[in-house]
Amino acid sequence: MDAKAMLAADKLWRFRSASSRPGGLYLVCWLLGSLLLAFLVIPLIALALTQSGMSLATVASMADVRDAIGLSLEGAFLSAALAALVGVPLAYALARTAFPGKGIIAALIDLPLAVPHTVAGIALLLVFGRHGVLGEPMQTLVGLKFWGTIAGIVAAMLFVSAPYTVNAARIGFEAVDPRLEKIARTLGLGPWQTFLRISLPLARRSIMTGVTLTYARSISEFGAVVILVYYPMTAPVKIYELFLRFGLDQAASAAVLLLIVSLVLFVLLRALAQRGGQPQESR
Amino acid sequence: MSAGVCVEALTLTLGAFRLRKIDFAVSRGEILVILGPNGAGKSVTLETIAGFHRPASGRVLIGGRDVTALPPERRNVGFVVQNFGLFPHLSVAQNLAIARRHHRVAAAYDTALPAQGDDAALLRYFGVAHLAARAPAGLSEGEKQRVALARALASAPDVFLFDEPFSALDAETRDQVREELKSFLRELAIPAIFVTHDRSDAMTLGDKIVMLRDGGIMQSGPAAEILQKPANSFVARFVGVENILHGRLNEVSDAFLTLTVGQRTLRAAAPARPVAAGSPLCLSIRAEHVTFRCSPPSTQSLQAGINRFEGRVTALRSAGPLVTVSIDCGFPLKAYVLAPQAREMKLGSGSTVAVEIAAACIHVLDE
Repeated sequence: MDAKAMLAADKLWRFRSASSRPGGLYLVCWLLGSLLLAFLVIPLIALALTQSGMSLATVASMADVRDAIGLSLEGAFLSAALAALVGVPLAYALARTAFPGKGIIAALIDLPLAVPHTVAGIALLLVFGRHGVLGEPMQTLVGLKFWGTIAGIVAAMLFVSAPYTVNAARIGFEAVDPRLEKIARTLGLGPWQTFLRISLPLARRSIMTGVTLTYARSISEFGAVVILVYYPMTAPVKIYELFLRFGLDQAASAAVLLLIVSLVLFVLLRALAQRGGQPQESR
Repeated sequence: MSAGVCVEALTLTLGAFRLRKIDFAVSRGEILVILGPNGAGKSVTLETIAGFHRPASGRVLIGGRDVTALPPERRNVGFVVQNFGLFPHLSVAQNLAIARRHHRVAAAYDTALPAQGDDAALLRYFGVAHLAARAPAGLSEGEKQRVALARALASAPDVFLFDEPFSALDAETRDQVREELKSFLRELAIPAIFVTHDRSDAMTLGDKIVMLRDGGIMQSGPAAEILQKPANSFVARFVGVENILHGRLNEVSDAFLTLTVGQRTLRAAAPARPVAAGSPLCLSIRAEHVTFRCSPPSTQSLQAGINRFEGRVTALRSAGPLVTVSIDCGFPLKAYVLAPQAREMKLGSGSTVAVEIAAACIHVLDE
């Protein structure tokens, strides 16, 4: 029997044996779970069905709204890329080395998730602001300005979203059997080659999931961004401004537009992250 | 010894664990089994040979070359681990292709092996060429082992290192892949070191056995010697000796010792080391060396190097074709009998039997 047939037989077996499972327990779990699902989805559906005074096309044609969405996507892309560049090595180091105080470092990584994002914004302002400990020397030395620029937006996004990449990648690396790395070494691959050709591809799916979450979290960030960089406006800031200036109608239309764009991107990225990981069966 | 592996006085500290003065050698065509319980230091020893731990002192020589200071990628070792460790994200062919081609330092092994660098021929040699494009996940255990061996050979190793490759397999598969591995290793004639806690692995594969406990060697030597003449009660228990008895030495004659065990007097082969009369001793007797009949002998006798005495069956434990018989003969003794014979002898609890043990099969342990 080839592998595919075996897999199919296994699935069939699982399906059939489902009848012998504790059905009552699963029913209650699903009933309670659907309450949460409804809670999550209904507001989004309500938003999508809203009869706003302004059509989506009109909102989409407004240059400031388009710019804001574009800026959000660009900032989120940069922060996801940066998170991957420095977060993946950190995750590997944490997964493969043991040292006293490792728990403290793991807790530090999770800290941004626990800090209210307005607080994060203020903290970042003290560091990257006009007179911040890094903000001022960065501008005088390399001309990098964090206020009123995309650099500040990326800094704010990265601060609140990097933990997702580090944690997911760490779990991914921890799931790679160290013996596979050892075998690669005995086959003549050096430590770098082993990392690039064995560890990294095997943890790829987890890393991609983490980077996708970082990207999604970056697009949705409002609190830290609005305090560090009000202008140029990212999409959440723009929607907030529309809400304050013109009320619910305009804000809702822009919100729907952002919702559609980010949902489509999120679904695409997730599909991309889940793809592959196994060699091709046939040639 | 140029085409082999030599471990000399290896000492290593790893956290709370210590490896103490490990010495052994494997030559071409030989399989050395490192046997021991969990935590004895078997895998650490193997990984030190592979280059994953730096020893505090001692040397590792592979193919006559001192590799103690070299990283794993420059040691020419073929490493096979539990579940065979194929890279799951690569196809069978890619698993082989990833291996760097070593320049073999030791003299070429005159085997049926294809020329170096010919992966397709290597897969054909192991009968798995048709699996080249397949993912490892779909392979059977036997196929995985063949691919793992092919991959290890792709980098032309001077030694094979096996780290409990069968420990996750069921009994039937284990027997099958073990026999297969043995015949491949015989044919390839590349020295192999095989780590296991399973004595049947050691008995089937080992030409030599190194018995480890708490980071030190308890006994090492030819497999038959370890199995038949364990040095102490720990080794005896670990290699599955059924009868370990305590007694006292009465007198030493030319070739035999006369001992008191329980209420019996036995003759045993004299050990190599000197023993003083009156001292307490520990003995081992393998159950297969205990024979018995249903008709009782008239008296106890010690003629012609055979111990003969009477006993009473206390319990029968059946395990498929083999029955383990517990006999009380002044001291507890275990013997084997085939299931049909047990029925024929009408053996039961309380049966009286005549027991025979050759003096040469009673082995005095070092403690």
